[in-house]
Amino acid sequence: MLKISDLHASVEEKSILNGVDLEINPGEVHAIMGPNGAGKSTLGYVLSGRDGYEVTGGDVKFEEQDLLDMEVEERASAGLFLAFQYPVEIPGVSNMEFMKESVNAIREQRGEEPLSAAEFLKKAKAACKQVQLPADFLKRGVNEGFSGGEKKRNEIMQMILLEPKLCILDESDSGLDIDALQVVADGVNSQRDGKRSFIVVTHYQRLLDYIKPDFVHILANGKIVKSGDASLAQQVEKEGYAFLGKAFEEAEA
Amino acid sequence: MSQWLEQVIGEAQQVNDYLAPVRQQALTQLKQDGWPGRRNEAWRFTPLTSVQKRDVSHSDDVPDYQVPAIDNLNAIELVFVDGKLVTDTSALDVPAGMTLTTLSDASDAQQQAIAGIYGQVKPRRHVFGLVNDAICQHGVFIDVEDDAVIDTPVRIVNLAASNADAHTRVVVRLGDRARACVIEQGTGTVDSFTTAFAEYDIGAQARLEHYRFAMFTGDAKQVGGCHFRLGESSRLNSTMVGYGSELSRLDVDIHHAGEHARAKMNAIYLLSEGELFDLHSTIEHAVPNGTTEENARGIVGDRARAVFNGRIHIHRDAQKTLAELNNRNLLLSRRALVNTKPELEIYADDVQCAHGATVAEIEEEALYYLLTRGISRSKALVMLNFGFIQELVTAMPNEALREWLLPLLSERFVSMEVK
Repeated sequence: MLKISDLHASVEEKSILNGVDLEINPGEVHAIMGPNGAGKSTLGYVLSGRDGYEVTGGDVKFEEQDLLDMEVEERASAGLFLAFQYPVEIPGVSNMEFMKESVNAIREQRGEEPLSAAEFLKKAKAACKQVQLPADFLKRGVNEGFSGGEKKRNEIMQMILLEPKLCILDESDSGLDIDALQVVADGVNSQRDGKRSFIVVTHYQRLLDYIKPDFVHILANGKIVKSGDASLAQQVEKEGYAFLGKAFEEAEA
Repeated sequence: MSQWLEQVIGEAQQVNDYLAPVRQQALTQLKQDGWPGRRNEAWRFTPLTSVQKRDVSHSDDVPDYQVPAIDNLNAIELVFVDGKLVTDTSALDVPAGMTLTTLSDASDAQQQAIAGIYGQVKPRRHVFGLVNDAICQHGVFIDVEDDAVIDTPVRIVNLAASNADAHTRVVVRLGDRARACVIEQGTGTVDSFTTAFAEYDIGAQARLEHYRFAMFTGDAKQVGGCHFRLGESSRLNSTMVGYGSELSRLDVDIHHAGEHARAKMNAIYLLSEGELFDLHSTIEHAVPNGTTEENARGIVGDRARAVFNGRIHIHRDAQKTLAELNNRNLLLSRRALVNTKPELEIYADDVQCAHGATVAEIEEEALYYLLTRGISRSKALVMLNFGFIQELVTAMPNEALREWLLPLLSERFVSMEVK
């Protein structure tokens, strides 16, 4: 589904990704862990096509298409979804208007009829319920005045509505208490259907107790320095990143 | 001096009718003041060279024209083409309580009423207003009797169809407790120059719903004004829309002549390419207890320029005045420019007065967020940046105008390139 080869990227001429290789097949959950400043969020931004994140080398194929050649909205229409670490507040645009526009834009790309207002409302209410957001959040400005946890749940609500093929969750656990974490994880797990793939970016192993990864990768200094199964995350939890030893030290250098 | 102005003065001296006194005054002042230079504060940001060097031009025949349709408006329509009234006013179906005549066909009584408004409500401030005072022979007078409630809007259209100098005038008298709706619209793209001024004398407790759509673009230059005298406890609700052209300037004056009047003025401008739109408004609170609320909002893209000058003058005796003035701008490109200047002059001590001006740019982070959800760039820009314009359109009382204007403005906005 996604094949990242030797990806290099920089921000304001500072090199952040230094040769990332990663292949993700349908239905797989990959966790990406790593210390602060390793380039975890940058990877999500580069894959989604954010301005200011300049790809300086390598390529990315998403279902055989050249992902890096696509506009941000084309990537979304092709089935890529990024759940933001810090979702943006947009006063003046209601959550409902935002999601209806979004769902119908993506449906149009897929050659599907737009949803009627009533059909959309029904789906949106169900998605809200699933992440335990009261339905009146649909009427509020996008993320406007939402708490940290509500913002994260709103991201998962969007993911449920948009039915993407590949979801990148950028620290969806940060700032959440255990109950909120459970809600977010349940939302994500409900979307695991054997075909949809996930990249779960996280600083802590805690989230991975709830969303079981098939693979865990350690990103340090813009490179994947170690890959393994779920036990690698537990090792990180116990020993920190020092156990990586030489590989990590080199990456840190 | 200006070759154009000299030619105009020459022509104006030939005009002789019941408005001769005011025309003479205007001519005297024009000769005295001469052509405004760039150091003239009123024209500081608005170059007049395209008119200064212009040759006066008249179109002999009325060319083919088409009045832009507004569905379901059901208005009484008066159409000027290249400055000539092409509507037969005597054939119009005018509701009881309202009379409508051309300035030249006015009866003796009407002439007297016109003379009390023509050049009297509009301050004798700027060169093109004076030119219009001196030379305009194509105008209409709308007279609404005391207590008459006229539901049918009057729509006055100025079409620039060929390379001509056009000078039109609208004179409106709204009797005490009367109600009416007047829509002024100007449109055209061809190389031409239109001056279109309107004066409104609004009686006690009367209500005027007013619109001015200054939609000249391209090479069609226009300078015009809307000037209101508010009687005691009267209400004015006005919405102005400005497109830009090589030269587009609108002056608005609202004069609180009677106490307890309330004026609400909303203005919208959307400018792209190399367009210019200049809005000057002056609110005179000459008496106590008046209320004014003015909102001017615009989006400026590409190399376009908006000029906004909003003055509120609260005279010494105008206690308990409530006045608010706000100007919000969004710039879509690095080369787009806004010159905004709210001016408050307050000589009374017991007033509530507020003003503000902001210039914002596109919020890239919010735009990116919408794009990652599959929303197209143009749609995302509308969702993020059109709301503050849409709000003023939605506030217009006339539904047919709302439905006509909103898609027109959002299309124009989408077509404005973001650079």
